[in-house]
Amino acid sequence: MTTPALQGIGLSRHYGGFAALRNVDIAVPAGEIRGLIGPNGAGKSTLIDVLSGRAGKWSGQVLMAGTDVSRHSPQMRRRHGMARSFQRTSIFPNLAVREQLELAAHHGGGVDEVLEQLKLDGLGTGPASELSYGDQRRLDLALALIGRPRVLLLDEPAAGLTVQESLDLARLLRDLVKSWGVTVLLVEHDMEVVFSICDRITVLHLGERLMEGTPDEVRRSPEVVTAYLGRSAH
Amino acid sequence: MSVQAATSLPAPAARPAAIAFGIALAAAVVGIVLPLLVASPVTLSLATQGLTNAILATSVGFLIRQSGFVSFGHATFFGMGAYVTGLLLKHTGLALEAILPLAIALPAALAFVVGLVVVRVSGVAFSMLTLAVAQVFYEIVVKWRDFAGGDDGLSVTLPPRVFGLPTTLFQEPGDMFRIVWVTLVVILFLLFLLARSRFGRLCFAIKDNEERARFIGYRTLMPRALVFAISAAIGSIGGVLFVLYNGFVSPDVLHWTMSGSALVMAIIGGAEFLIGPAIGAVVFLAAKDKLGDITEHWQAIIGFTLILVTVRWPHGLVGTIWHWIRRRGRGGRA
Ligand SMILES: Nc1ncnc2c1ncn2[C@@H]1O[C@H](COP(=O)(O)OP(=O)(O)OP(=O)(O)O)[C@@H](O)[C@H]1O
Ligand SMILES: [Mg+2]
Repeated sequence: MTTPALQGIGLSRHYGGFAALRNVDIAVPAGEIRGLIGPNGAGKSTLIDVLSGRAGKWSGQVLMAGTDVSRHSPQMRRRHGMARSFQRTSIFPNLAVREQLELAAHHGGGVDEVLEQLKLDGLGTGPASELSYGDQRRLDLALALIGRPRVLLLDEPAAGLTVQESLDLARLLRDLVKSWGVTVLLVEHDMEVVFSICDRITVLHLGERLMEGTPDEVRRSPEVVTAYLGRSAH
Repeated sequence: MSVQAATSLPAPAARPAAIAFGIALAAAVVGIVLPLLVASPVTLSLATQGLTNAILATSVGFLIRQSGFVSFGHATFFGMGAYVTGLLLKHTGLALEAILPLAIALPAALAFVVGLVVVRVSGVAFSMLTLAVAQVFYEIVVKWRDFAGGDDGLSVTLPPRVFGLPTTLFQEPGDMFRIVWVTLVVILFLLFLLARSRFGRLCFAIKDNEERARFIGYRTLMPRALVFAISAAIGSIGGVLFVLYNGFVSPDVLHWTMSGSALVMAIIGGAEFLIGPAIGAVVFLAAKDKLGDITEHWQAIIGFTLILVTVRWPHGLVGTIWHWIRRRGRGGRA
């Protein structure tokens, strides 16, 4: 097998005595869209944080295309081609849309392309805090997409979007994989979206990896059904 | 905020800079003519002192605007500018031409190093740390009698000429007024360009959302330390001009009340705006002058005004006027 574009080995993260992530392994081959699902509190965001360098105290190893980036700061990982979006929208509220995308592009350009892809063009020059919630969500995503990263970590990018917007987003991600071979790790609650665009799915439960497989395998897995039904379904 | 929004217009990028240059030029001319219209040398002298304070207030406001950090100890840099000039003149054979750059570079370097540490902490802690650093400097100068003159201060004798100009220019109220005024205008113009530069925008972004800035690939410590250093350099220019004018410096310029009034000036004028702090300085000093004649409780009145301003007009004088004009403009169009 070729080296995965993104790999986590034995990842653990504790909050005080509580293990939010326990010895999780994950390997995503280049050009794959990997779904990351699990009930609320399963550790999905924590896993994204650890992979992207946001987590404070953690253990394990993170590799990008075989290079160990465990000790890299978020900004170094970004320069290495890793970008992420946030579950709780994280944008620059006082900068205009274009202004912040130009910053995020460094000197690479591509701002117009991303503006168009995410339907953010024509939002004017006012501060981003004045945008609608949906626009802010897409701006958060745009800040990750710009610069054509090789690895994208997306934490519920469709949360709060309309059904149509989610479907558009799903299609966009598929297109991106085709056009520039990005590797995606996608946290998403909307099962329809997950099952339709992901190549494979990793299921987390109580901080551990419950299973991993194709959408069909995951759908049929009794463990997954129990994990989801064990808690009141969302 | 509005200033930032205005800079994001995709319009020809050179135009606002050209307009600003025109305004700066006009302002410089006004400053050069102004002393001709003021008969009283006392007024002129007070105004010159006031302008050095305006430079310090501008440096405090710049730090707030560009990084969000509120310094409670900026007198340190003003005082360092003055003391480095004074001490080097007194104790070394260095030429004034060499001393002047040093008097600005040393405070900036100190701020940069201190900045690498203190910008890691947040809001109030930063303010407290700057206050602590400032107190240390104050104590050193007060205690160090032999070298720095202690409480009595330090008299400074200028060499007859600097950069080919007679140094008497610095001590003549009319000429010095022009020099300090033009220096302030140049500083404001450069800060305007800085705010519009890529670096300036990065600083706005870091102020806005430091974590996100890191996740889009920027180091955030260095830019903030740099802003702190630039701010210190500006403050020290005020101090250098102060000592050149007075030929004397005492620990008063390092006292926390000096830092405090600079901060009050910046807030009253409106730190979000480039010229806010300088306007604030004028208002503050005029108020202090007038109130000082009427009552000895002028400090209490200024304190009360400050509370009123922060609560009622959080954008300061300039900000309040700006928003008022914009609202009227909008109303007119609607
Ligand atoms: N800062 C924190 N301090 C303490 N506990 C935390 C913290 N952040 C997360 N946790 C806990 O860690 C566990 C995993 O949280 P995480 O946010 O990774 O879950 P998630 O799978 O993303 O959930 P959701 O679907 O709600 O976003 C949860 O039990 C959560 O309460
Ligand atoms: Mg989450």
